[in-house]
Amino acid sequence: MNNEVNTEVAPSVIAPQEIDVSIGSRSWLYKLIYGGGIIFDLTKWLVLILVVLAIINTLFFSVFVVSGVSMSPTFKDGDWIFWSKNIYNDTKPQRGDIIILSYPGDPTNKTYIKRIVGLPGEKIEIKDEYVFVNDAKKDEDYIRYSVGTDPGGVWTLTSDQYFVMGDNRPNSNDSRYFGPVGKRFIRGKAISRLLPAFQLTSDM
Amino acid sequence: MPKKNHRKYPIVNFYWRKLAVFAFLFAVLGLGYTSVQTYKADTNKYTPPTDSADLTIALKIAEDGSVIVDGQKLKQHIDTSGSSDELILPILDNTGIGYSSVHILMTLPKSVVKSSIYEIKGIHGVDSTSVAAISDKVIDYYASGVGPDSTLSVIIEMPPGTVDPPLLFKLYAAVANIKSSAWYIVALALPILTLIFMIGFITVESKQQKIDIPDKETDSPPMALPPAIAGVLYHQNVGPREIASTLVDLAERGNIYILDKERDFAFVKNRYDQRLLSYEKVLLSKIFRASVVSDGAEIEQRINNHLYSKKISLVASGIYVLSTRLGYFKTNPQRVHRKYQIVGMGAFFTGLACFLLSMLVFTNPPYILFFWAGMMLSGLIITVTARRIPNRTAIGQEMMSNWLAFRKYLSNPEKIPFSFENQELFQKNLPYAIVLDCEVAWAKRFSEQDFVLPNWYVSDELSPGLQDFCLSLFPIVSYVARSLASLKEPGFE
Repeated sequence: MNNEVNTEVAPSVIAPQEIDVSIGSRSWLYKLIYGGGIIFDLTKWLVLILVVLAIINTLFFSVFVVSGVSMSPTFKDGDWIFWSKNIYNDTKPQRGDIIILSYPGDPTNKTYIKRIVGLPGEKIEIKDEYVFVNDAKKDEDYIRYSVGTDPGGVWTLTSDQYFVMGDNRPNSNDSRYFGPVGKRFIRGKAISRLLPAFQLTSDM
Repeated sequence: MPKKNHRKYPIVNFYWRKLAVFAFLFAVLGLGYTSVQTYKADTNKYTPPTDSADLTIALKIAEDGSVIVDGQKLKQHIDTSGSSDELILPILDNTGIGYSSVHILMTLPKSVVKSSIYEIKGIHGVDSTSVAAISDKVIDYYASGVGPDSTLSVIIEMPPGTVDPPLLFKLYAAVANIKSSAWYIVALALPILTLIFMIGFITVESKQQKIDIPDKETDSPPMALPPAIAGVLYHQNVGPREIASTLVDLAERGNIYILDKERDFAFVKNRYDQRLLSYEKVLLSKIFRASVVSDGAEIEQRINNHLYSKKISLVASGIYVLSTRLGYFKTNPQRVHRKYQIVGMGAFFTGLACFLLSMLVFTNPPYILFFWAGMMLSGLIITVTARRIPNRTAIGQEMMSNWLAFRKYLSNPEKIPFSFENQELFQKNLPYAIVLDCEVAWAKRFSEQDFVLPNWYVSDELSPGLQDFCLSLFPIVSYVARSLASLKEPGFE
């Protein structure tokens, strides 16, 4: 309250901070949120949300809904997976990463979720229901104990190829059938499961 | 004395018409997206014959990169955006028909079989696959035991330059090959350059139309103008303040009463004045229609349930036309605003359309989205900043200088000494103070006066003081004026 005011003469002194000064002018944030014509008022948030979500969804992060059982028991049919699209811009895919990839025979329409088993330059061999990487038997604690890996075969990966398989070996179409995949078909890395229960893929 | 709780007025509410527009927009977007997806799916699909267990398909790649299967031209085209001219074609996909053998004879546009990489991929029930070159131009893709749910794809990577695609495809390839960092830079540069240009343009124009800032103040309006005209001279725009000042001016001139009751506010028509300006008549008809009293709920319903008001548009036009006729502006400010609005909104919606199109067309990370987002932002910058472009004539500049001198007086921090003559001065100049953005400063000048409530303002409070008057009146006229101003055009204000 202003000290200069004689309250006896003017009992209803103006307290500047209390008066709504905003007959027409508001802060730029206020104008951005509420100002403007009515069509703009209605559409601006729709457009803004659409554009921001589209950019995030197209270039950075997205949600993948698992269809099928090829990644069971890690992921089940209908699980919601949160995945990063740009994580491999700066880093290389690692063995054990769960990735989202385009099927090399129909990259526009078919998207799969698989686990990286073999890295560029490695020799992958499936023999006696086990996976060998550069002739060393690989322990795979993420697949069911009683499940073996078939059919047998040997693949030598080029400098740009990855060998991917689903965790449910008897029920997965993967590199055993369509061959190793080039890096350009890898679209991103699964970060976590969102539904039915949140869990980071690094813990899977 | 217990302190009165002054009402807060809503900022936005939901009304069915607004919701209907929202629902319509969503429906249009959804239908548009679905129809494009359906169109894509239909035109890409090759339908194989069903009358034979052994299938032979003739696939030809034309010199322009188009793909012809059994005489049917597909929408799919050779992709020239990578390091090779590539085709990945899922030729049979979940057809529902099983075949014991499938031969796909692919004819290339040039004899490049030896320098090409080719393979066949089969999943979901394909017994075996093989591929072999028959001649320099023909490859035989073979699959046996192709199940009804299977997907059979043929792939070929030919040396770059094997096909000569149409200009549109070349353009697509060129755009797809631009690095993401380049798009980031362009997306940032576009709005920044637009902003710099607009600021520069406004600065240059402002220098050419320099308005003398007066040293001394004037204690009366320089001209007996309606406050809205003074406001449009000051703001170059008809906004909430111009409407608010008109309402208070109409009250001050005895045309309306403003009632502030505990539960609601209301406007009451007092008398019909033949001397009212046309835009004032239209404004009153918007508030009252045929009734004499219009309470807050009625006004709110009348304002917020509408998307656009022709009457308020006429009010704005009337103020602009009058101020232009008085010679204050080179061109009607409404026309200037509209010109830039068209450019700005054109850029915005072009950017939005291309943004959505790019999402559908570009398969690999479409970093071009950043460019379109930058273009949309630039459009908004043009629209928002354009109203600041000076448009006043020499007369307008001189008059503006005079009004600034009056504003200086209104916003002077010195208190106005008590006198009986000064008691009505506050309300007399209040419309001008509102329109010149200094109503609070003007009110503060009277803090040492005995406040006399204007006879056009009726409150249920016993002898309200100046503070109570301001805290009650300003939100009412602010709410009504802001709501009305938002209806003056069916677009961005």
